[in-house]
Amino acid sequence: MTQISLQHICKSFTVSQRPQGRAAAVRGIFHREKRRIDALKDLSFSIEEGELVGYIGPNGAGKSTTIKIMGGILTPEAGSCSILGRVPWKQRTEHVAHIGVVFGQRSQLWWDVPVRDSFELLRDIYGVPQEEYRRRLQELSDILGFSNLLHTPVRQLSLGQRMRCEVAAALLHSPRILFLDEPTIGLDAVSKLSLREFLKEENRRHGVTMILTTHDMDDIEALCSRVMTIGHGQLLYDGDLETLKARYAPLRRMRATLLADAPGDRELLKLPGVRRAENTGNLCTVWFNPYETPAHLLMQHFMQNYPVKDITVQEQDIDEMIAAMYQEMKL
Amino acid sequence: MNEQFRGEYPAGVMCRPRPLRACLSIFRIKLLESLQYRLAAFTGAATGVFWALIEITVYIVFFTYAENASVPFISNGLTLPQVISYSWLGQVLFGLQVTAIEGDILEKITNGDVGLELCRPLNLFGQWYARTGASHLSTVLLRGGMTLIAGLLMPEPYRLSAPVSWAGFLCFLCSITSAFLLCTAFGTFASVIRLNIAWGNGPMYIMLLLGSVLSGNYLPLQLWPQALQPFLLVQPFAGYLDIPLRLYLGTMPTSQAFAAIALQLIWTAVFVLAGVLLLKRRLADIVVQGG
Repeated sequence: MTQISLQHICKSFTVSQRPQGRAAAVRGIFHREKRRIDALKDLSFSIEEGELVGYIGPNGAGKSTTIKIMGGILTPEAGSCSILGRVPWKQRTEHVAHIGVVFGQRSQLWWDVPVRDSFELLRDIYGVPQEEYRRRLQELSDILGFSNLLHTPVRQLSLGQRMRCEVAAALLHSPRILFLDEPTIGLDAVSKLSLREFLKEENRRHGVTMILTTHDMDDIEALCSRVMTIGHGQLLYDGDLETLKARYAPLRRMRATLLADAPGDRELLKLPGVRRAENTGNLCTVWFNPYETPAHLLMQHFMQNYPVKDITVQEQDIDEMIAAMYQEMKL
Repeated sequence: MNEQFRGEYPAGVMCRPRPLRACLSIFRIKLLESLQYRLAAFTGAATGVFWALIEITVYIVFFTYAENASVPFISNGLTLPQVISYSWLGQVLFGLQVTAIEGDILEKITNGDVGLELCRPLNLFGQWYARTGASHLSTVLLRGGMTLIAGLLMPEPYRLSAPVSWAGFLCFLCSITSAFLLCTAFGTFASVIRLNIAWGNGPMYIMLLLGSVLSGNYLPLQLWPQALQPFLLVQPFAGYLDIPLRLYLGTMPTSQAFAAIALQLIWTAVFVLAGVLLLKRRLADIVVQGG
């Protein structure tokens, strides 16, 4: 069943601008140059119940704006939006009672008081019955492991600890939809892994729909069955991750550290399937397409011909992929 | 999906947001948080006592001079002990004054966290009202409490005198309560205006300072020119401080207390209404700062 549906959403902001120089600064007192920036241009998509959607795109692409519109914070200029049958910005109070939000860069906990106080406040705000609150808090603290942090003031928590509490705070009222805006930003590897594990479990167990914006490709890979890519306020791609990668980031980067000096670019480019090559000292890097040339062929060749000390294969990073996408879309 | 909802989506649990209870809860948590800052309250109280003593010294000089030189009576019926008590109570109740927008709210407005507040099933005005009220009350309780003790322990003639009568004191207490509601309403209203980020702090502080001056905090309103008196008494800021203090000192008979308190409450309603309406308009075209 369709839970979230956005149709032709447009949103723009006005930005004041001042050219450089003293004269311009003085002029700026009386008259401002205004420029309109279209954050979202005719954005449409729909999301089914229980989906785990990764929402990606570079900074300034319009990700947060979309989340804010879906969260009922911003009112778009045009277009319609229906979430759980409600218009977020019109029926804000009813709407937000059924959603949860986690903003990785912002805190919804009270800084100077113990975590438990913040949770109890949320209980009162959402009107969670006491029994249900106790059960849910127990459940969340068992999985996220923060029961020993409940009496600590938030300012004394580490980022990882705080993030676990933030996620719990967003889920205390058992929302049907959870918006996550860069939830793993700044987290260490262990915290990231356990947070992903938790989100997956929450989705599986309670069927919570999740929309996740991130710059961390691993988040998307670990969690999301569906990826939406946005750039310059438009939806560029909507589908699964594999197809996206095959299309826009087909290349893998293989980096080999040799015991001797690396061979020249020309020699490397002659290798099967290599598209690009770089070399510095005893480190050489080649880009190849695994859909055309399986990695084992290339590796075999390396192993047989060069004294390899170490070898790694990585995917292209998300920015390269988006950049490739932009190039193709001529944005 | 749960069958019984028939296409209606179930709220995960049967959550029934109860705004009033939520606001009380915000009030409680904010009060507890603010009461932690004991040292700040102590230094605040020290400033208050210092300020009151300076004021009192100046008043003593003025009153002595006015009596000896037999110039036309400048004090409009206020005696020196009354003016001294006025100074003390002004300092005790200083926390009620809206001297700035509540720190958390201002921070949230400037860094864009106000967006998160909007993600709650809660009226933003009510939430801010609770926060503002709690921070005022905590200041009055801590800082005001210490100042009050200092005022009572001072030697004559610097001491805070007793209220005019029990009835007057009772009216004073009622009037203080409505003054609290009024100040909180105005403070919240000011926060709503501040939501327009492009304005910055300037217009805000002019507005708040005007309120402070017209409340009698700097000079008891009764000492202002006679011609201004009718205006001074009905303008909203008299309800901050001057009206309760008149009842304490007995310069306003208790028979007028009911009307005076009603006036305070009317102004409270005006600010609340204005704030709610303005906020509604602001939210329609709000810009949330930051990504």
